[in-house]
Amino acid sequence: MRISSLLHTVGQGFRLLFRNKSYSLASIGTISACLFLFGMFYSVLTNFQHIVRTAEEGVSVTVFFKHGVTEEQIDQIRIAVEEREEVAQVNYVSAEDAWASFSEEYLGEYAEGFTENPLEDSANLEIYLSDISKQSELVSYLESLEEVRMVNRSELTANTLSGANRLIGYASVAIIGILLLVAVFLISNTIATGIQSHKDEINIMKYIGATDLYVRGPYVFEGLLLGFLGSLIPLVVTYFVYNKAVEIITSRYYMLTQLMKFLPVEEIFTTLIPISVILGVGIGFVGSILTIRKHLHV
Amino acid sequence: MSQNYRSAGSPDNDETVILLDNVSKQYTNGAPAVNHVTLSVREGEFVFITGETGSGKSTLLKIMIHELVPTEGTVRVLGYDLNRIRHGKIAKFRRNLGIVFQDFRLLKDRDVYENVAFAQRIIQVPGNQIRRNVLNALDMVSLSDKYKRKVTQLSGGEQQRVALARALVNKPFILLADEPTGNLDADTAWEIMQLIERVNREFGTTVVVVTHDRGIVSRMHKRVIEMKQGEIIRDEGSTPAETYDDFEDDLFEYQDVDSDGYDYED
Repeated sequence: MRISSLLHTVGQGFRLLFRNKSYSLASIGTISACLFLFGMFYSVLTNFQHIVRTAEEGVSVTVFFKHGVTEEQIDQIRIAVEEREEVAQVNYVSAEDAWASFSEEYLGEYAEGFTENPLEDSANLEIYLSDISKQSELVSYLESLEEVRMVNRSELTANTLSGANRLIGYASVAIIGILLLVAVFLISNTIATGIQSHKDEINIMKYIGATDLYVRGPYVFEGLLLGFLGSLIPLVVTYFVYNKAVEIITSRYYMLTQLMKFLPVEEIFTTLIPISVILGVGIGFVGSILTIRKHLHV
Repeated sequence: MSQNYRSAGSPDNDETVILLDNVSKQYTNGAPAVNHVTLSVREGEFVFITGETGSGKSTLLKIMIHELVPTEGTVRVLGYDLNRIRHGKIAKFRRNLGIVFQDFRLLKDRDVYENVAFAQRIIQVPGNQIRRNVLNALDMVSLSDKYKRKVTQLSGGEQQRVALARALVNKPFILLADEPTGNLDADTAWEIMQLIERVNREFGTTVVVVTHDRGIVSRMHKRVIEMKQGEIIRDEGSTPAETYDDFEDDLFEYQDVDSDGYDYED
């Protein structure tokens, strides 16, 4: 593309944007609304995933062994469990460790009265998962082992967390998908209006010998501009809304902050900025290309 | 008038610049608008295509500028085979043509200068040359003193002169006019025709004018192709027509205007 063509495309693109002010504003507004909601969903989803990840780290399966199972046998089981895909970490807690921890937590100085270890059969393996949705699978495996006496698990937490995570994900995708279609439709309308109001000019261009690029370029650029501007506004709004929301939650719901830690806005925006801009520009591009194909025959 | 219209790169005299061979055009409703028409126009010729409303004369012009594709027959204009021209080449082809319409088709929100400069910008003439070319073109149609006027403030005749300046500013090989005097009174129509005749005479630009105005046609003493019901019923004042085979042998192509740029010869 020649520099003069590029300048024409950019200049005309801006002119078109300002000539159809009301339509341009409507398009930018819709893209902004769409990407703002996307930003909000993304922030909630990312935070939720962060919470789930943190919770996952705390969710463990504890395996107790039958009387007479030796440390060597437990160690072999530990090695086998560690090799499993869903397992993040396995800790061996001996009967002595279990008693020491119990007595320190609950008995204090009274523990001295015990001459034998009352938790003799309490040697166990604490298993931490990398994927809590596979907890049942792991528990079934453990229960099938001959040496295992009992498996303690927290399946309710695991299922609730992974289920909620999925639900938020699906809802986000559905709502954002609908909004994206609305945005593409509105951009398409804006560009179609521009083409209609310049029908005579386009017609003359055609007879004078304007290339496809010369005629169509400004409309594609207008679409890209609408999308780009539409992506910047929600980013700024999301930035302030997110910070404010975290501030309010932190100050009013102190208990909640004990359970979860919010991600810093910078961490969220590292991914949100490129995704929003690409989405905005993409919506603009798709909207303009669809319209040009339908309405602009050079 | 200081411009040297199409001297460099022009075809030699007596070369056929438009050749229609057995061309027919049938619209979807079935009626043939043009029926087995064969004609040729030589470089520098001034040709009237005349006939009653619905005789097919405007369809013929649209075929020449590739706005319509014939259902049958072969069309070659300025070396371009319009039956097989690629979409990307159409713009390049049309840069060799100047087209004038009955309804002027000016940009009503712009002034006279901008309407003419528009044609130069489309073919990407360097900015420093546009002003000089536009003023020369306006001078040729005697409108250089009104270049700042909005076209809506001009009379019909003046508007058609702006349209003519726009058609000529890119120095076309062929000027094609579709009823250029259709919206004008007799005196103004005659002025416009005199102007077109002057362009043909002074710059050697080939001119094809579609008109139903028999008065003008008879006063101009030029070649007249008369059509009726899609067929040529009269072709007077023509030079001997070249055959399509001869035309093919010429192998010339009028491509001094680049498809994505302007190769301007002063």
